[in-house]
Amino acid sequence: MSTSLNDANAVLSVAMRRARANELPQDPVTRIRQSRFWEKIDFAELWTQREVLYFLIWRDLKVRYKQTIIGAAWVIVQPILITIVFAVFLGKLIRVPSDGVPYPIFAFTALLLWTFVSNAVLSSSCSLVTNAQIITRVYFSRVMIPAAAVGVRLVDLLIASVVLFGLMIYFHVPVSWNTLMFPVFVVQLAALALAVGLICAALNVRYRDVGTMLPILLQVWMFVSPVVYSTSLIPQRLRFVYSLNPLAGIIEGARASLFDLPFDWTAILPSAFITFLLLVLSVHLFRKMESSFADDV
Amino acid sequence: MTSDLKPRPQILRMRPIIKAECLGKKYYLGRRETVAPTLREALKDSMKSAARLVRRSNGADPNIWALSDVSFEVQAGEVVGIIGRNGAGKSTLLRILARITRPTTGLADLFGRTGSLLGVGTGFQPDLTGRENIYLNGAILGMNKQEITRKFDEIVAFANVEDFLDTPAKRYSSGMYLRLGFAIAAHLEPDILLLDEVLTIADATFQKRCLQKIKDASRDGTTVLFVSHNLNSVEQLCDRALHIDGGKLCDEGKPDIVITNYLKQIAANN
Repeated sequence: MSTSLNDANAVLSVAMRRARANELPQDPVTRIRQSRFWEKIDFAELWTQREVLYFLIWRDLKVRYKQTIIGAAWVIVQPILITIVFAVFLGKLIRVPSDGVPYPIFAFTALLLWTFVSNAVLSSSCSLVTNAQIITRVYFSRVMIPAAAVGVRLVDLLIASVVLFGLMIYFHVPVSWNTLMFPVFVVQLAALALAVGLICAALNVRYRDVGTMLPILLQVWMFVSPVVYSTSLIPQRLRFVYSLNPLAGIIEGARASLFDLPFDWTAILPSAFITFLLLVLSVHLFRKMESSFADDV
Repeated sequence: MTSDLKPRPQILRMRPIIKAECLGKKYYLGRRETVAPTLREALKDSMKSAARLVRRSNGADPNIWALSDVSFEVQAGEVVGIIGRNGAGKSTLLRILARITRPTTGLADLFGRTGSLLGVGTGFQPDLTGRENIYLNGAILGMNKQEITRKFDEIVAFANVEDFLDTPAKRYSSGMYLRLGFAIAAHLEPDILLLDEVLTIADATFQKRCLQKIKDASRDGTTVLFVSHNLNSVEQLCDRALHIDGGKLCDEGKPDIVITNYLKQIAANN
């Protein structure tokens, strides 16, 4: 009796296994190969794992806002404090020209964007190391980890932008059609932050020096970008070299869009081109180094 | 001749779901000492390796092949046990199949969605609650929210963590970690399930339930690759066993025969 039941079960089991085996795809779902010089980017995989990105961003936001007392307020306080410092020393004492815009809002706009870039690069550069546990245990596209770090800072930027619009009302800055370009520059800025973040994150896995050097390099980057001063201070003959820093075009463009100043396309177009180039390069570098993260981290 | 005429087990006539050819993984032993390598050490290392090239003959090889030239096929729906001594390369093999690390040589094709549980607490985020971890792991497996929600109650019931769903995972006991990890991996219905030493710390009751779950999954057509030192469960559960020793596949076949040979080999070495 029980044997025949077992037999029936066995037959059923074989039938089910067969049915499932027939549903399997003809081509491999996963091809495991040794790492090559030039790794292709699997866009289909990125798309199927998009929810991972969402979860990682959400996780970081949650943890941060749970463990700091004033949570979201930090995001707003940081650029405000720095702006006050620069507004007093550069704006009031040294009287740095600010293209006819009140210096506080002139500097705040750029410092808001700069805080985002700086934080995004810093947190994505150490993201792989802090997530070592997940990297050595489960597979998903590793790009998600630094991308999530940038995503978190982007949320911070959106929250802090509320202050920017408050200041615009306070200083009676009129809204124009140019304002619509502001989000475009924010997107480009996010792409630039991701590109730099990916490179630093990948290098940081193997060379922890990167984490130490980065704060200094970021300081330098801030002062070679028109954050607390205007590009108009740069001599004309150096302008081309100056515009090779993609951040310069983005910040000047963002300011122009908010304060209804003319767009300087000779700075904006090279900046867009270099950002794109950096993004492509960084994604490929990351893909190339990705295969050994679990062994190195 | 006669053995060819005998009806072979049904499974063997099915399609392969894993094809591995000449898989090998080389680790550089020197790298393990430098946990946080710096640029300076990298430069020093490159000097050293240049020096090593010059006097290669007398120095010991700093590389170790954790896995070398391993080829095998697994048929859809099969349960395959992998046995071998510590450090034989079993975990390296699963890590390669789970895509955590890349092989140095060879290739493997997987014809299905892969879920893995490599050690306790796999993929858990200590700061997230049990509920959130279930969704995160589902997302990593490529499932959307509705699919996970559909499986949610089953996972929670199996892992027996109803009361701790909204507790951060870092407050879980190691038993709870294990139960939830196993429940997630087994219930998200991967086509291929990779399990590495997951039952070592489970108590007898939960071990039984896990083994039953693996049986059920295999009956539903899930392919299971199962690394274990528990030879009894390998013999009970598996259709086939692979014995890995020194990074090489040294025996393969019916579990009872492979296990007997393995035990003989250990006895001979002692």
